Amino acid sequence: MTVTTAAADAPEAPPRARGRRRQELAAHVFMTPWLVGLLAVTALPMLASLYLAFTDYNILSSPEFIGADNFVRLVDDDRFWASVRVTLTYVLVSVPLQLGFALLLALLLDKGMRGLAIYRSAYYLPSLLGTSVAVAVLWRQIFGHDGLVNQALALVGIEGSSWLQNPQTALGTLVVLNVWTFGSPMVIFLAGLRQIPHELYESARVDGASVLRQFAHITVPMLTPIIFFNLILQTIGAFQSFTQSHVVSGGTGGPVDSTLFYTLYVYQQGFVSFDMGYASALAWVLLVFIALITAVHFALSRYWVHYGD
Amino acid sequence: MNAVSRRKLFQLSALVGGGLAGSSALSACGGVGGGGDSAGALRYAMWGNNVRQQNYSKAFEEMQAAVPDLQIAMEFADYTAFQERMTTQMAARNVPHVFWVPSPQVMTYYANDLYRDLEGIETLDLSDYSPTDLDGFKLDGKLNTMPFGIFVPVLRYNTTFAEEDGVELPEDGAGWTWDSLAELAKDYSANSSQGRKALSYGAEHDLSFENWLRQRGEQLWTEDGRVGFTQDGLASWIEWWEDLRKAGATTSISEQDGVAPDWPTVGDKILMNFGNSNHIIDDAQQFPDYDFALRHPPVAEDAPEGFQYLYYPRMAVYSGAEDDMVAKAGQVLTYCTSTVEMLKTVGLTMGAPVNPRVAEEIAPSATADEQEMLRIVAEDRAVERKPRYEAPPGSSTWRTVMGRVLEEVTLGSSSISEAASSMIDEVTTAIERAA
Amino acid sequence: MSEQILDRTLEPVQRPATAPPPPATVGRRRRVRTAWLRHLGLIVFGLFMLYPLLWMTVSAFKPSNLVLSDPSLIPSELTLDNFRQGWTSANQPFWVFFGNSLVVAVSSIVGNLFSCSLTAYALARLEFRARKLYFAIVLVSVMLPMHVVVIPQYIVFSQLDLVNTFVPLILPKFLATDAFFIFLMVQFIRSIPRDLDQAAWLDGAGPFKTFWYVVLPLMRPALVTTAIFTFIWTWNDFFGQLIYLTESSVFTVPVALNSLVDSQSQSGIGMLLAMSVLTLLPILAFFVFAQKYLIQGISTTGLK
Repeated sequence: MTVTTAAADAPEAPPRARGRRRQELAAHVFMTPWLVGLLAVTALPMLASLYLAFTDYNILSSPEFIGADNFVRLVDDDRFWASVRVTLTYVLVSVPLQLGFALLLALLLDKGMRGLAIYRSAYYLPSLLGTSVAVAVLWRQIFGHDGLVNQALALVGIEGSSWLQNPQTALGTLVVLNVWTFGSPMVIFLAGLRQIPHELYESARVDGASVLRQFAHITVPMLTPIIFFNLILQTIGAFQSFTQSHVVSGGTGGPVDSTLFYTLYVYQQGFVSFDMGYASALAWVLLVFIALITAVHFALSRYWVHYGD
Repeated sequence: MNAVSRRKLFQLSALVGGGLAGSSALSACGGVGGGGDSAGALRYAMWGNNVRQQNYSKAFEEMQAAVPDLQIAMEFADYTAFQERMTTQMAARNVPHVFWVPSPQVMTYYANDLYRDLEGIETLDLSDYSPTDLDGFKLDGKLNTMPFGIFVPVLRYNTTFAEEDGVELPEDGAGWTWDSLAELAKDYSANSSQGRKALSYGAEHDLSFENWLRQRGEQLWTEDGRVGFTQDGLASWIEWWEDLRKAGATTSISEQDGVAPDWPTVGDKILMNFGNSNHIIDDAQQFPDYDFALRHPPVAEDAPEGFQYLYYPRMAVYSGAEDDMVAKAGQVLTYCTSTVEMLKTVGLTMGAPVNPRVAEEIAPSATADEQEMLRIVAEDRAVERKPRYEAPPGSSTWRTVMGRVLEEVTLGSSSISEAASSMIDEVTTAIERAA
Repeated sequence: MSEQILDRTLEPVQRPATAPPPPATVGRRRRVRTAWLRHLGLIVFGLFMLYPLLWMTVSAFKPSNLVLSDPSLIPSELTLDNFRQGWTSANQPFWVFFGNSLVVAVSSIVGNLFSCSLTAYALARLEFRARKLYFAIVLVSVMLPMHVVVIPQYIVFSQLDLVNTFVPLILPKFLATDAFFIFLMVQFIRSIPRDLDQAAWLDGAGPFKTFWYVVLPLMRPALVTTAIFTFIWTWNDFFGQLIYLTESSVFTVPVALNSLVDSQSQSGIGMLLAMSVLTLLPILAFFVFAQKYLIQGISTTGLK
């Protein structure tokens, strides 16, 4: 509603010389909801958690300032390092797999063919289920002792044991879960493919470019902002993975911490051990780490991401 | 271009407009979200499954009919979610007036002054309890939580299987020891024609572990809030189980889906399992084809007198509750713990009644499984017992730690003594940090 | 939304992807064969993907005690008990929870579409001094694990006496706190050729008109994507809804489903599966509906 009023109030034909100041003003009008939200909903809790990172805070009584102790403590915390190992492995394996899958399927499902809507919805279905509690039941049905995978192995004479209870394979089942729900990046890719102006292909065809050439010189470059977006967001999302392990391992990150995602450890410290000061410190370490990785992504992006502007 | 974008615009605003219509409809029906008219209601927070939720809301309706001017707003979630919500509410000091206390947090909540002293609440009727009973309820010498059930550690067995396979468990007494049980378990598992196992792997069960410790003269926690068991005590318990597991007398970790057995998965594969006395009520219902009975766990030959103990689930009144709410809370506590009507509605899934009068009155209408539970709890209650202390602040993760070291042991990545010492170290560090 | 209609609208779109038709019949036969192979591949792969969901759906119709003991896809016994019992398993019939979830989800969609598109346009197209700083803040705000901010946030809403209402769940969406979508829209706007809105700008339309008449229609795929994700995520979000909603009259579907998960006995497994299947239906319907709009990007409307 604000938009309509604002649009109606906008003066006709701005003199170009004043464009810059108008833009400055307009930008702040456009961003008013966000600025209010930042101050009221986002910034305060974030700053609070930054302060808490330097305190001993057990949630029930007042925080007590202890300097950098929480940060010193994590150097010798074996479970912290375990969670770092688990999370890095997970990010490095599941993000490329999931994105590759999503892009491949988006390309396949973008082309005209019968029943596209059915395929698209079908492939998206697992993502709808997301990380609902029912997943715990499903995953046990597939990877448990008498699960589907072991039944299949039994047919060829291999007696398998539970994939969820083996520290070597438990994380793998979560990677499968993540790849299985590739629907979100796929939808974003599909939307991105639709954003590519049709005329580009037409003129390329007139010039006699092959399908492969069109893919390499139109589709990929035009899609890079979306690939970049998916890469950044899926990476951040993977670093923050929580629910998968929370649901499948019942919140423990087991067996033997093999699915102890970083954020699950943050949660355990904060909500189970009531050590919210330490949990906040852990969270801010993660934030700095993700920020660095994102900054590197952005720095590298100028070499491969092409914008229309 | 104009024509095109106008059409787009129209479609888009139709999309958004539909949404706005939806949201204005919602604000029309009584403010955004409606909130409910629960101002002035007594907030009662508890955990459980949907059956318990239904039973309790029915009981609360009956309570509201019986107690004038009482309005109860139930805050319900499953055990984990309940704790997440409670933690958040406590941080904001926006705590329900009456709440169940999760066992690992009993002393943590106490250390942070969340409990209202129950003595002096005139509406709370404690007349059914003996002074000894009341002393047993106290924490740190104060009556600040109200037990509303009793669990004891038990060995549950499937009588249908026992009959089919012609097994008889030794009578209580000199013949019923950990050694004789181990022997029976190995023998049964080796000879079971159906591929049944004698036991599920139960080293993770907290009440049984505590029972083992007390039979050795140790305890789970000391009075001054430290770890009450030795490395030997813990190691001997794990050893007893590892011996059975390696001999194939228990289900494998893989079969039972983790070091803590999943009952729906193992229920029809095992003869016996260690558990809480109250679990028989829910667990038996999942396997209606079988009958179950309870036994006291075996007793070591050199077990000291009074090793038996009662575990109480507790509820508390929030220390920040206003006086009128405290008075209502007293009425609610009385109704919950001292009326047989309450238990008739909600059943006995939270254990045998603490109130001795109610325990007697409920017995005739109890189901067979419930009577089995009542019997075994009454027997433990009748003996003189040494005191038991609750988990100190900071120890709340001890069961998770235990699960993890048991995983290490069963996977062979750590020896039993290493596992025992690393568990004690980790729990001790956590307790010291919280102090 | 029938498939035929969809395919027909798609017809022109596929042109760029298909090579000019070769006249020889050999070529056509090969193309028919490839199409068949592609269908076959997609179907086989789809069944593989959907197995867990098929199992879940079939199991929802089995008697509760057979769910785990008889895991086959062809049930020996069919029943609606799980649905009947599940529907009334909580204090209120499930439609109350569906209604509450719908209110939260629809309001969130409106909020996100409104606030995030405004913010994204400013960040993507307008020149102003704090732009880079604001964009950095947008990104950083998605990097902190929510578990450490949830308590301070709860304290704020609790002080305002807004617990047990939908406000804490909806209001932030109108204030563009879902930075994910801002970033998404920024990326989409930046991939729109600048000449388009530049032209409007030069024609004398101000930033608001340019946004409303040019950019917004062009970024429809991003808006639809935002709507889809907002719907699904709020429909499935558990933690936020759990802590802010404590009374069963305002429970949403995920909070109500939670009571079917008993950490001790899992007795309600059949009901859990049945109700999970039901909760999938609205989001599936929404997706099927929305994806139609998703595929009509610029390429179908054409640029003039």
